Amino acid sequence: MPRSKLDAAARRNRILANTIVIALAIITLLPFLWFVVMSFKPADDIFAGIDGFFFTPTLENYTSLWNDRFAGSMLNSFITSSVSTILALVIGTPGAYALSRATMKQERTFSLLILASRMAPPVAFAIPYFLVYRYMGLLDTRTGLILVYLTFNLALVVWLMRNFFDATPRALEEAAWIDGASLWKTFMVIVLPMSGPALVTTAILCFLYSWNDFFFALTLTRNNAMTAPVEVVNFMNYEGWEWGKIAAGGTLIMVPVLAFSLLMRKYLVAGMTAGAVKG
Amino acid sequence: MENRRRDVAVNAVGHAAKAGKTPAFERQRQRFFWLLLAPVLAILAVVTLLPTLYLLVTSFTPLNLANPATAWDFSDPLVNYRTLLTDDRLHNSFWVQAKLSVVTVVLQLLFGLVVALLLNMRTPLMNALRTSFLVPMVLPPIVVAIIWKVLYSPDISPAWWLFQLLGWNVQTPITDASWALTAIIVADTWEWFPFTMIIILAALAMMPEEQREAAEVDGASIWQLTWYITLPYLKGTLLVAGLFRLIDSIKTFPLIYILTDGGPGSVTEVSNYYIFVQSFSFSYIGYSAAVTMVLLAMIVVLSWVIIRAVSGGSNAQE
Repeated sequence: MPRSKLDAAARRNRILANTIVIALAIITLLPFLWFVVMSFKPADDIFAGIDGFFFTPTLENYTSLWNDRFAGSMLNSFITSSVSTILALVIGTPGAYALSRATMKQERTFSLLILASRMAPPVAFAIPYFLVYRYMGLLDTRTGLILVYLTFNLALVVWLMRNFFDATPRALEEAAWIDGASLWKTFMVIVLPMSGPALVTTAILCFLYSWNDFFFALTLTRNNAMTAPVEVVNFMNYEGWEWGKIAAGGTLIMVPVLAFSLLMRKYLVAGMTAGAVKG
Repeated sequence: MENRRRDVAVNAVGHAAKAGKTPAFERQRQRFFWLLLAPVLAILAVVTLLPTLYLLVTSFTPLNLANPATAWDFSDPLVNYRTLLTDDRLHNSFWVQAKLSVVTVVLQLLFGLVVALLLNMRTPLMNALRTSFLVPMVLPPIVVAIIWKVLYSPDISPAWWLFQLLGWNVQTPITDASWALTAIIVADTWEWFPFTMIIILAALAMMPEEQREAAEVDGASIWQLTWYITLPYLKGTLLVAGLFRLIDSIKTFPLIYILTDGGPGSVTEVSNYYIFVQSFSFSYIGYSAAVTMVLLAMIVVLSWVIIRAVSGGSNAQE
């Protein structure tokens, strides 16, 4: 075949592939975009069928949401997610460092433990936690949620941070020891500052996992500590079907998630496959 | 990656030799590491192992929250496990789970593979659009469920406007016993095909060029290249991605909770959901604990298979 003909065929293929990818991207994004647009629609236009396609955007769904208990539930979401993330980092990071540097024989057992805690269905933890919390008066408290979130956050921190430490050279630490720095000081002054970016990444992942939680918040809270995902679902149950408010609430919940996770999509998979695949 | 790690190790050994690292220092170092490790292990045990043990113990009691006396009643420890064998609704839930898991995993692998192969052509346009395919996966699961509730609600769904325009009279699938599971499968596939896609894309990026180029020179078509070279290369990746999705599909909750509530009847009631209903709606905690233990056992086995699959794969590369 002459060269030019081949090139033409290749170009046709590329154009075809590009077109298919554009179409697929639109199909993928459409349900999500529809939902976001709906949150800016006046109530009448939501039910107006095709006539509601063109509408004057409004913030009324958001303002009516904010007068509600919704702000409180957002605050609950934020507090439980951040505190659990910080706790997991403080407890987990030194352990991850030790795991990376010490010579361990139970490598595979440990992997299995981490993987299992990521794989376990939330109900497996929800049942015992529910019983214990009922007894201890921790049901419907932020403390209760923070502790439950440690079940997955700790494993995540240990796994991700250990991978990070595995990939960092030991020469700096060794040099510090030679200079007479204590083990503890070396860890605090040399190792930790070096891990800044990795700590931030891990923190964001932990935060997102806790923020996205629905099951624990559904089963372990009733009122006071209820988080935003559960509150939004409640709009469906007892206040009739206020779709505008539901869409506005859903959009507010997903904004931080979208922003953070697309920023660091490279690490997303490392977080999701924790326990099995080294990032 | 492996090479770098080895270099680092060699470096460290060199340094240690120069520093005249003594056995005493080595012992001190190990002690320090255990000191750092102890709190994590202890807390991990308290927050994960202890509850699992408690779950196991509870599974030997007929605990029912309506009747406090049942809490530590071990008179017939295997009663739940016997009930489990004859509980038709539970068996149905396993069957629903199997259908949901198998179909969604296959569809997600298929769509993920197709989109990844396309995106791997890496034209500028594709690189720009790549991120948009990740959106479904990163949305909070509860929001995904609500989005699909909107799409499946005839009075507000854009799909039903279209049906109306075409004069079709379509029922919503989520209240139709023969379509409800399909509705969940569609939503779940949309949510998670990006996961398989991104894993496959990562593998494709590391694929060695030589074989492909050689085959191209020999005049192989795009289809032949894909079928004989790319797909065999991706075998391990597809296996791992599929196993991950398989295990995660056992946890599917928000979609079912929001879209169908396990119904109509129990056609979309997967095992996880059945446990939720038994424990948190009916308060049959003891029995739910037993069912959960069975589910956990299955998950541990599957996790073990994953670890074997992954480490087997990396051994082959070394």
